[in-house]
Amino acid sequence: MKIALAGNPNSGKTTLFNAITGKTEYVGNWPGVTVEKKEANLKRKYKLLAGLQDMKEAGTGKGDGNRRNQVRVVDLPGAYSIAPYTSEEAVTRDFILAENPDVLLNIVDASNLERSLFFTTQLLELGIPLVVALNKQDVLKRSGNSIQVEGLADALGCPVVETRANGEEGLDELLRAVGQAAAAGASGNPAFEGRGGEGEDKKRQAYVKGIVQTHLQRKRDKTRITTSDRIDRVVANPFLGLPLFGLVMWAVYAFSINGLGGFLADWVNGTLFGELVPDAAHGFFGGLGVHPMLEALIVDGAIAGVGAVLGFLPLILVLFFCLALLEDSGYMARVAVVMDRYFKKIGLSGKSIIPMIVGSGCSIPGVMATRTIEDENEKVATTILTPFIPCSAKLPIIVLFSAVFFPGSTWILPAVYGIAGLAVILGGLLLKRIFPWEESSTFIMELPEYKVPSLRHAFRQMVHQGKGFVVKASTIILVMNTLVWFMQSYGWNLQPAEDQGASILAGVGGLAAPLLLPLGVAGWQMAAAALTGFVAKENVVATFAILFATVSEEALHAPGGVLAENFTPVTGFAFLLFNLFTPPCFAAIGAMNAELGSRKWLARAILFQLAAGYGIGILAAQAGSLLVYGKWAPGAVPAGLVLGGLAALAAVLVQRNRARDAQNELACQE
Amino acid sequence: MPLTKSKAGHTGVVKSITATEKIQKFLFSLGCSEGQEITLVSILAGNYIISVGDGRYAIDKKMAGAIELA
Repeated sequence: MKIALAGNPNSGKTTLFNAITGKTEYVGNWPGVTVEKKEANLKRKYKLLAGLQDMKEAGTGKGDGNRRNQVRVVDLPGAYSIAPYTSEEAVTRDFILAENPDVLLNIVDASNLERSLFFTTQLLELGIPLVVALNKQDVLKRSGNSIQVEGLADALGCPVVETRANGEEGLDELLRAVGQAAAAGASGNPAFEGRGGEGEDKKRQAYVKGIVQTHLQRKRDKTRITTSDRIDRVVANPFLGLPLFGLVMWAVYAFSINGLGGFLADWVNGTLFGELVPDAAHGFFGGLGVHPMLEALIVDGAIAGVGAVLGFLPLILVLFFCLALLEDSGYMARVAVVMDRYFKKIGLSGKSIIPMIVGSGCSIPGVMATRTIEDENEKVATTILTPFIPCSAKLPIIVLFSAVFFPGSTWILPAVYGIAGLAVILGGLLLKRIFPWEESSTFIMELPEYKVPSLRHAFRQMVHQGKGFVVKASTIILVMNTLVWFMQSYGWNLQPAEDQGASILAGVGGLAAPLLLPLGVAGWQMAAAALTGFVAKENVVATFAILFATVSEEALHAPGGVLAENFTPVTGFAFLLFNLFTPPCFAAIGAMNAELGSRKWLARAILFQLAAGYGIGILAAQAGSLLVYGKWAPGAVPAGLVLGGLAALAAVLVQRNRARDAQNELACQE
Repeated sequence: MPLTKSKAGHTGVVKSITATEKIQKFLFSLGCSEGQEITLVSILAGNYIISVGDGRYAIDKKMAGAIELA
């Protein structure tokens, strides 16, 4: 048994999906949050209500005895019409046509009935039992309009149930209707003249208009200036819009990193994982009489490494909480409007800001959010540039380096995000010039009504993201840490190494270390940390924690601590930038691969990010050292060579692209 | 008269839309097509905020220039 959720973008499909399955899939108040179908089992409570537990499925095959009683719910990306406009809309159509769900649950935005019903009438023609959830009842009531539900159900020939997915209202009746529809078979078929013929869409539109006119009582003139419009005049003001956006993002980060989040993280890092846990663990294992080797593995390897990462959990929880509030409010769509005219100049769309804000939490959903950008060039550029925005996994690196090299400073964080913004701008301009580019973009963005963000929703999203972070720390990062610990304690002969310098890790790191010389950074430890960062960025901190664990965890975070012996503040900052702008973790690269859709573009994207991270790091190290200390950082000669090489490469690519454009133009003229 | 020439608050009937078929279809599914009424709510940050049916949409200047009102 399969129920598919379909409807217009931002009509509340995923909110309803979460409510009836108990999942915590990503939701937000802008069109196009869901870009891929999601599946889960219907909650038992609703299964019983729908009376679906007794249903025998037709065509019972062998071996599906267990699955017979399962009710799968499939959440589909929003669509305005069966004929797709963007790639995520195609997912909806392809799924319905190919997978033949047993019931279609059509979520209709009650505050935008006409547009929604256009799609409803198309869905009805598929011959699949259909139930309409007339959602967003609260928005409808606020507007003063009302809908005659029974009349609408009669006109459409299918059950219509009023719901408010946000408050989980009306879901019992909805699922009861789904159960009845599944048993009853196909719903009515919309009958209007000219179906299937020439100009069908126009006739369908007229038909839908007729239904809406009969069953919707309007109290309010739809073109009247609403509260939303008034807010828009401020937040999307040509002069205020951009500073306001900057202020909002600054507030989110200040609160997460320096405010509540930072305060909690300090305690967890310094006290909990710095003293309490290691001391307790040492005492515990000492008492058990465990082999000192094993004790070292657990305490210095696993606890030190994973602890160094887990310590940032409070910070990340607060950040995700704030981002969820922001995403729920409806502000994101406005930021896209404000940014459009700036972003167009650098080859991006206003919509590109949404992947970037989402990406400041995690690059993976950020990269996936690029799918709502219709223009192929803008989409590709956004996919390549989104990982430049530091994600929550990069925060530990930023906070660590800031604490060690610039204790008490308040400018590091804004500086890092400022440089990230600059990298996006310059990166966009460069991408536009080194790859074939067509100016064909159009910007259309729906502006959903603002709503007061739900604290409960933000809390649930936060717990969900926090869980993901803990799982990552206790799986990938734990495994990597154990490996790093092993590699730094053993030599190639698999005997405990006399000192770290003779270990396997020193050998591997040593191979990559020369690459860091232009950054003014020497030492295999730094190379090893950067390498582990490609698996997951948190590993950079975790690896440092293990490598310098001999001096204890606290020393890692202490101002002028052990890290300061290996960097000057300027090269430390350069190393930080290097880690931020080189390609993201493997998982995010996987997401980039999915969005770019071709190996060739993925390779270009990764090379571009490598070159950008390397170039920015070198520039910061050398120019910074010259400015601050009055002399070049070590490795100035290779630095000059690398920068020169990168500049030459960029120049050649720009030239080649220009020649290609000129040739195309010539071909067009002939 | 193109939409870009109208004043905020003006309601007009769409006469024609000059765009690719894909964009025309998309606008159509939003309810913005020949013979339909649309209202220019305001012009914000270089974008045209239009009211179509019960929805609010922001479109860029290029798109707005392609919409001809009667």
